[in-house]
Amino acid sequence: MTSKPLLDIHNLNVVYETPSGSIVAIRDLSLELRANEAMGIIGESGCGKSTLSYAILDYLPPNARRSGSIMFNGDDLLLKTEKEMQNYRGDRIAMVYQNPYSALNPSLTIGEQLDEVTRVHRGFPRTQAREESIKALKDLSLGEAEGIVRRYPHQVSGGIQQRICIAMALLCQPDIMILDEPTTALDVTTEASILDIIGELKERHRMSLIYISHDIGVVNKISDRIAVMYRGEVVELGPQEELFDHPRHPYTRALINCMPRAGVKKETTRLNTIPGYVTRRSADERGCPFASRCEKRNAVCEEIYGLREIESGHLAACDRAYADDVSEKKAAIPLVPKAKSPAGAGATGGWSGTKDSSAAADAGGFGTVGPDTATTPLIRLEKVYKYYRNRKRTVRALDGIDAKIEKHDVLGVVGESGCGKSTMGHLVAGLLAPTKGNIYFEGKDISATWQRRSGDTIRDIQLVFQNPGRSLNPSFSVEQILDRPIKKMLKIRSRRERRAMVIDLLKKVDLGEEYLSRPSTRLSGGEKQRIAVARAFVTSPRLIVCDEPTSALDVSVQASVLNLLGELQEQSHTSYLFISHDLNVVNYISDHILVMYLGRVCEYGLRDEVVNPPYHPYTEALLSSAPDVNPSHKQKPIRLEGAPPDPSARIVGCPFAGRCHKKIDDLCDTTPPPLKRLSETHYIFCHLSEDHLKGSAHL
Amino acid sequence: MTFFRPFLKRLGGMAITLVAMSILIFLLVELMPGDAAQRVLGQSATPQAVAALRESMGLNDPVWVRYGRWASGMLRGDLGTSLYMRGVPIASIFWRKVGNSLVLAMLALLFYVPLSIVFGVLAGVKAGKLTDSIISFFGLATMALPEFVSGIILMTVFAVKLAWFPITSVIPIGESVWNNLDILILPALSITFVMFGYVSRMQRSSMISVMNSDYIRSAVLKGMPMRKVIFRHALKNALLPTITIIGMNMGWLFGGLIVVETLFGFPGLGSLTMSAVKTQDTPLIEVCALFITAVFVVSTAITDLLYGFLNPRIRYPGGS
Repeated sequence: MTSKPLLDIHNLNVVYETPSGSIVAIRDLSLELRANEAMGIIGESGCGKSTLSYAILDYLPPNARRSGSIMFNGDDLLLKTEKEMQNYRGDRIAMVYQNPYSALNPSLTIGEQLDEVTRVHRGFPRTQAREESIKALKDLSLGEAEGIVRRYPHQVSGGIQQRICIAMALLCQPDIMILDEPTTALDVTTEASILDIIGELKERHRMSLIYISHDIGVVNKISDRIAVMYRGEVVELGPQEELFDHPRHPYTRALINCMPRAGVKKETTRLNTIPGYVTRRSADERGCPFASRCEKRNAVCEEIYGLREIESGHLAACDRAYADDVSEKKAAIPLVPKAKSPAGAGATGGWSGTKDSSAAADAGGFGTVGPDTATTPLIRLEKVYKYYRNRKRTVRALDGIDAKIEKHDVLGVVGESGCGKSTMGHLVAGLLAPTKGNIYFEGKDISATWQRRSGDTIRDIQLVFQNPGRSLNPSFSVEQILDRPIKKMLKIRSRRERRAMVIDLLKKVDLGEEYLSRPSTRLSGGEKQRIAVARAFVTSPRLIVCDEPTSALDVSVQASVLNLLGELQEQSHTSYLFISHDLNVVNYISDHILVMYLGRVCEYGLRDEVVNPPYHPYTEALLSSAPDVNPSHKQKPIRLEGAPPDPSARIVGCPFAGRCHKKIDDLCDTTPPPLKRLSETHYIFCHLSEDHLKGSAHL
Repeated sequence: MTFFRPFLKRLGGMAITLVAMSILIFLLVELMPGDAAQRVLGQSATPQAVAALRESMGLNDPVWVRYGRWASGMLRGDLGTSLYMRGVPIASIFWRKVGNSLVLAMLALLFYVPLSIVFGVLAGVKAGKLTDSIISFFGLATMALPEFVSGIILMTVFAVKLAWFPITSVIPIGESVWNNLDILILPALSITFVMFGYVSRMQRSSMISVMNSDYIRSAVLKGMPMRKVIFRHALKNALLPTITIIGMNMGWLFGGLIVVETLFGFPGLGSLTMSAVKTQDTPLIEVCALFITAVFVVSTAITDLLYGFLNPRIRYPGGS
């Protein structure tokens, strides 16, 4: 608090005037950003995080009214005209957005879009502007900058697009860079390297950052101080470590506890959820904005309220709730212990009985177990290939993978985008047919699309998609959505019987009868995904393919959907093929994990075998890229440079060799990696010896 | 080779469309009630004379033979002879009328394309404001007026009251359209009336959606002045749908101006088609219909190519 703040937001209010009354988006918000400081802002969607950044830059819809003050270098930005604001935007205060693809103009080359920043703000002539742009790209370790400036945005990958956006923001060396979920649309590995770059640039250019994210792990990595926003207010503000070790506001705690993280498993723990959702705020509302969802609320919450200093530099709007356990160190965050079934017993029973004959495994990979074996896996993929061919090239989406899903088991599949994990899900579900190879369902060959599968097989394998908003018919009510599969797939004629089943299904996903007639467009994201899950359970399937089922959801909603999936799986005889890019989520829900790279398998094993050494170098890199909620988990980071190679190229050796930090020269490029069996259940495809695979990431 | 393949494919598609349409047009016109020979000779002709003419015109041949004869003639550029105008080769009048229509269409384009784009962009940028309301009202009003109403209003004001332009658009015998450009103004204006509302509304809505896009937000928040945001960042993207609309209307502009041309007495393709239908001049109807189809097919293809050329996402297919 000694240095004068660079940006001083004082009592900022943003109100939207609508025909049905005023809606408060930002309420009496005060925040100071110091020079060279990274301020993280977290909160659920709809809490005003983005509105705050647009309020600073005066980019709000016409019906928004701002009041208060935003002092920047002694000037109040609220008093500036549109013309004057143009001199701040992109020059003194620059912004980077969530989706780099849509943030770049599709009709202008990357160079044109970069050059204009210095041409407008600095008056540079064409050639000098171009030189600056190329320099800025090289600063972000984009080697081939001269080529990139001539291309269009759609011709480069998402990771490069975001680096271009960051380079664009840095061109005038701004005092403040606002980053609004800049890595949310990217792979973990890309996210990790972008975060590294941002941290490094902040120091080099002595910039201040405002880093907005719903991902607490990411904010943790980058921020000096963190502000927690809820319904337009800062409810807690403090130094990063202090805030995470001793969160004081119930909302902060609830948010942190929602995140799945290392060591939290479905067998032992249920994720914390926040009941209810972020509601709109009217102008005359008083008291604590979180009260209606707070488990610790009491009578005073309506009256005594306001941000105040609890310890030096740590402010919270509420400190009564957890005043008693301030003395507790570190483990001050209790997760909800699971009530039912002793740890590990029920849910994970499937794999303990699994035995592979080593002969079969040696002969054709670990998936190859004869259908006559006593413990036939539920699903077995045998040398499955999926190629997409067009005139120019052949994309090898799956390049001869073996895999299996045990009965009553969750197989988590991870890998960067383009590794073939979704293709694998689509093949199992019968949305696609393999180019070569076989898929067996309890020993029965089902390597065809659903049109050629039997009704029983279709009923036994169901799907849950990523975006429930798009996978549910917007013109159907909840009852229609659930009734249709009951009628079509279970062939139940009686209306009464069907309605009883629908109500039963709703109960299963913790929704009441009042949802029956609700149109699917009037459901929240979490409710929609619950309906999608209920729909998948209509036929009591043996397997549900879950393709990124929570990645479109807020953390608090993600937690409740993960809990639901975990519970339903435990109660039923169902297995999941759980596809996700989020290692923390996969780690929470899975019994087995399959790591894929470029259409091939890197590693397969029980969850704990995969996430602990010895592991495949790629698994190691993924794990070290994943943002951990717990900041004390300091690791030696392994950064994968670039993107996976072109999937149409024929690879002789190990597909990962080009990016591997433990590559054995010559050998890895020329010889396919051998299968190493580390235990009954743990397989790695790698040339390295077991000792080398033990790695150093967690040391 | 691979570069030309899409073009060849496109050309093949166009050819198939034209052949299919020519069959359809031929069949429809041939199946029209009434006997061609009877029509030529009039009601008082003897049955023997009619039968003889039928034979000499080849009307007794099977339909597919007649189609083959007609189609091969078209391919050789032989448009046949008019029935109504007793043996006058169609080519001698047809191409001149097409030329007249072309000049009128170009002038109309010159009027309405810039006008509707400028006002559409303006309305889109000022969406919800007074400027937008005025432009949108005007567009809707002109769109709702049929050509014959707006044409008559234009005539009354500019030809009768102000006497700036001739009241009809007739080209004196022996002169070409080029020495009589003033006769084109009123028909072109009346076409502009029809098209303005249509195209400007399209331009307005595409401008609004582009102005709400993420990349426009990027442009504004990197400090670009409004002028640059609109002309450099928004317009290039917002013009794409408008170009499609304009291109798809080329066929109509070329051969569908029946009302406007008839109203002003303009000797173009529209009024020619009109009189061909009125006089049941089958060979002429077929030529006109086929030509209008060809204009539609070709202008759609050109629009698609232009769209591909202006849109880098199609010009340079993806790949990272």
